[in-house]
Amino acid sequence: MKLLGAENSEEVQKLLIEQFEAMENSLGGPPVVAVVRHLELAKKLRDEYQYRIFGFVVAAHYPAPAKDANGVGELIRVSYGLRSVGKGTKLATWQVCIPVDGAIPTLVPLFAGADWQEREQFDLVGVRFDGHPDPRRLMLSEDWQGHPLRKDYAIDTKVHPWR
Amino acid sequence: MEMIPHVAKARRRANPYLDLGSYDPEADLMVLNLGPQHPSTHGVFRLKLYLDGEIIVKVVPFVGYLHRGVEKLCEKLTMVQLIPIFDKNDYVSPMMNEQSLVMAFEALLGIEVPRRARYVRTLLAELQRIASHLLWLGAFAMDLGGALGGGSTLFMYCFRERELILDVFEDLTGCRFHYNTHMIGGNRHDVPAGWATKVHAAINAIETRLPEYETFLITNDIYIERTRGVGVVDGQLSMDLGITGPVLRAGGVDHDLRRDAPYHCYDEIEVRVATATAGDCEARAAVRMAEIRESIRLVRELIDNIPEGPLGARKPIKTPLAEKAAKGHAYAAVESPRGELGIYVIGGGDNKGASPYRLKIRSPSLHVLGCLPYILPGHSVSDAVAVLGSVDPIMGEVDR
Repeated sequence: MKLLGAENSEEVQKLLIEQFEAMENSLGGPPVVAVVRHLELAKKLRDEYQYRIFGFVVAAHYPAPAKDANGVGELIRVSYGLRSVGKGTKLATWQVCIPVDGAIPTLVPLFAGADWQEREQFDLVGVRFDGHPDPRRLMLSEDWQGHPLRKDYAIDTKVHPWR
Repeated sequence: MEMIPHVAKARRRANPYLDLGSYDPEADLMVLNLGPQHPSTHGVFRLKLYLDGEIIVKVVPFVGYLHRGVEKLCEKLTMVQLIPIFDKNDYVSPMMNEQSLVMAFEALLGIEVPRRARYVRTLLAELQRIASHLLWLGAFAMDLGGALGGGSTLFMYCFRERELILDVFEDLTGCRFHYNTHMIGGNRHDVPAGWATKVHAAINAIETRLPEYETFLITNDIYIERTRGVGVVDGQLSMDLGITGPVLRAGGVDHDLRRDAPYHCYDEIEVRVATATAGDCEARAAVRMAEIRESIRLVRELIDNIPEGPLGARKPIKTPLAEKAAKGHAYAAVESPRGELGIYVIGGGDNKGASPYRLKIRSPSLHVLGCLPYILPGHSVSDAVAVLGSVDPIMGEVDR
């Protein structure tokens, strides 16, 4: 239950598990936090734990498993990272897991830098961010069909040359 | 109604989502597209500027003209095949891209790198930082107008000096730009005999010429007029936007991964971090000039004490498919000349686990461009060009 190469500090790990009831992801990576408490966690990390530099947003698409006995379905897992400032800087990371048609509250009110990062993840992976002030594509053109970093988007998908 | 702040008072954050319907209806607004093909954008980048006379009211940046789908490619190629591709992301400092990528894979696979390889990596990183900042200096002088430093003289001089560093890289790796010298677990090319002498000669030549450039540019009255108080990015705005590197440090925040979260061999040497407080174009330039000097000092300290030992943790693998990734997530970051360049990688993808499942590049240039809608309103168009040059974006890294 950790991010290799950049583990959470002990106090952040304690906060995640004790106060935010973070769960382990069987596929690895940082602890998973419920979507409804995601904004509260980011605010707490920024204001009380001094993680003030915006790090990254990474979304990954997981297609539904072939034998889906538990009804897991198609998922998107989004990892967030914030960085503390100055000597001994650390990364605080957590994950949010949503169904493929779900949405995550945006971090733009807390971190202005989340604007472009969330637009990029929406563009490439197709995850929706609730309350985003400018929800356009970032990298691809406005009329692009589909989201290229989805696992069901073939790398040789035909694209019209005038796109 | 939103008032237009004068340049001198443009310290406040502008509203990037400004509704132009609420703007003065008497004003005659004009839309100007700066780019995508424009020499001052350092690549293909478009700024949609809403102008009231000469003053910018609102800025909408458009990126993605150089989008090549590197992250999708990462899911199809194996880890070993990816290293030369990452040279092309930030084509001004390819060493940093390779280093961040191999560090992420090493963290994922749990490989410990021998000290000699880490030492050589530190050395290459510092040489690359000098080369990258020199290119920035020349391009910035061009952006501010050819009159500074006598036409494009400074630009040519900086390229001449950068050439010295490319020459020593060529001696080491055989390539001038796209080195492919890092491997997962070590380095590919060992230091050739007599290399230290050449590196000494190169950095001595650069050091003796630096004061000349400062007379050309940094102490020039026209330059000071164009840069002082222009494009202030304060520390708070930088942190909110995730900006790192010289732009953050010029805003008064003392933060440098080399010193604060040491990787490679940075824990063995002392890195003196340069900061400034003004946060304007002049401060950013001063921080970068100080970083060139600091890198020269570090190279001098490192070059004569390269430790003995193996250059790789293991033998080079014969086929790309031999690499089997552990499942899990890993992140590694280096302090590139533009800030925190991080790679977030999820292991266990295609090719029986030899490809990443998902790989994300946290590029410092993308974060730094996010500041433009906040700081440009209130400036004139010519200032916009100066600000764009001073934040030093590399479009290959922004669009990926």
